[in-house]
Amino acid sequence: MIELSRVSKRFGDTTAVDDISLSIPSGKFCALVGTSGCGKSTMLRMINRLIPHSDGQITLDGEPIESFNPVKLRRRIGYVIQSTGLFPHWSVARNIGLVPRLLKWPTEKVNARVEELMGIFGLPVDEFAHKYPHQLSGGQAQRVGVARALAADPDILLMDEPFGALDPLTREKLQDELLRLQAKLHKTVVFVTHDMDEALKLADHLVVMRDGRIVQQGSPLALLQHPEDAFVESMLGGLERGLKQAALTRVKDHMTSLGSAIPAHSRIPGDFTLRQGLSMMMRDHCDRLTVVDASDVPIGELSLRRLIKEAQTERGVHRAG
Amino acid sequence: MQASVVSLRPGFALRWLVPLGWAALLALAVFGMQYADGFFRWIAPDARQVIYSRASFLDLLGRHLLVVGVAGAVTIVVGVLAGIGVTRRYGRDFLPLAGQLASIGQTFPPVAVLALAVPVLGFGTLPIIVALMLYGLLPILRNTLAGLQGVDAGTKEAALAMGMTQRQILWRVELPLAAPVILAGIRTSITINIATAALGATVGASNLGDPIISGIVNSNMAYVLQGALLIALLALTVDSLFDLFQQALAKRSAA
Repeated sequence: MIELSRVSKRFGDTTAVDDISLSIPSGKFCALVGTSGCGKSTMLRMINRLIPHSDGQITLDGEPIESFNPVKLRRRIGYVIQSTGLFPHWSVARNIGLVPRLLKWPTEKVNARVEELMGIFGLPVDEFAHKYPHQLSGGQAQRVGVARALAADPDILLMDEPFGALDPLTREKLQDELLRLQAKLHKTVVFVTHDMDEALKLADHLVVMRDGRIVQQGSPLALLQHPEDAFVESMLGGLERGLKQAALTRVKDHMTSLGSAIPAHSRIPGDFTLRQGLSMMMRDHCDRLTVVDASDVPIGELSLRRLIKEAQTERGVHRAG
Repeated sequence: MQASVVSLRPGFALRWLVPLGWAALLALAVFGMQYADGFFRWIAPDARQVIYSRASFLDLLGRHLLVVGVAGAVTIVVGVLAGIGVTRRYGRDFLPLAGQLASIGQTFPPVAVLALAVPVLGFGTLPIIVALMLYGLLPILRNTLAGLQGVDAGTKEAALAMGMTQRQILWRVELPLAAPVILAGIRTSITINIATAALGATVGASNLGDPIISGIVNSNMAYVLQGALLIALLALTVDSLFDLFQQALAKRSAA
């Protein structure tokens, strides 16, 4: 549990973070989104005391962060940055084992942990353990960066635009890996990004920031459905908002049972997002799709007409409420 | 020709050939000079004596190395420590001052330092050591600063964020990454000082400069040539050794 209560940070005359209160429950993935210079990175760096905050209080599990020794505090918090920050003169294995060694784990335990992490991140030990950072691709280097942050199994993971420098394909792959990992590890993650799609995809809790203040926070779906003002709406993609919302739900959550009608020609796996379903309708010039399970057996139907009716009812309910 | 071919091929044993070759030539010159009587007679036909004999070349070489070694050791310690000190948080205020002081040290000609040092320190080895220290400080300090400041800010931030102490960051991250640049500064400093140390002969610090000064005073070109030859071979030996270290270091950090 990370709690910020009325936290401010001033650099000279400028206020980078202005009276922010935010609470991140344990095991939740919180994304801070905003334009450059909105104070999101500053917030991250205050949590592990890379910079001191000027006002307010930051607590970890109820303890104010000033009560910890800063070095010990940082060893308990994983940290990933965009430039990876890998040590260029150390091998991959040595980079990953850094924090466990700082914590004076016995050598065998460090080695076992390094090998375990390399396995998790798809970096074969024989091939990568002795490579140096400059011999890695951007995606591989960032995997090592995340592995290093997780090495001592910290409860908290701070990530500062970790995938910002990667090409779109690699970025997407690493996002998927992070999602899968988070589903297993349940770390408390604070993730800074300016990429709203990335934030929508990864976060349980979304915080939109502007000029050092929180404009709106809530679940991705809640923000998409009810953006507070024009700024949040434009951050969420303006007219694209409908599709972004569709990207957050699965086809199988919107399908109807197979009717007596002739089955639709195009098939879509139920795990695909609704956005992918809509895209497939556009591509195949149809308004119905047959939903199939993993072994390609039809399990339902996705109908555009039904979707629109569903959305209308939802809206009606909201207006009435 | 042979040497350049060898240095291009990075075989470990082969690379030792270059410094060993220069060292062998240096040894040959030190011990074989006296047998080159005929050659030096041809250089200086009118001289009464053509082989410098007031002290053995081995003695002169030893004293030359001592002066350069002592000055170098002090300069390395002072230069590197000062470079580290002024890049820490507590010493940052002195960063510009340190750079300026070292620059002054190098713009001040060693001859002038000698002239000023002799009245204070007397004749002998001490004034030349002081002159070499002042003269050799700049390359080391400047390169230490450049090396430490050249360490990527993201790398340093990551080190801090991972929970390394300031001391661990210095020893495990900053110094290893800056080492090639610092070593290049030490190499420049020492190589220049091997040549500059010859000036010591003018203030009574007997070393490989002796034959040169004596040769100039007595218009004996054979003496001058003997001193110059030995100093050049010594400089080449030491420089090629540094080259070897640098290659090893570069290989380690970029492998």
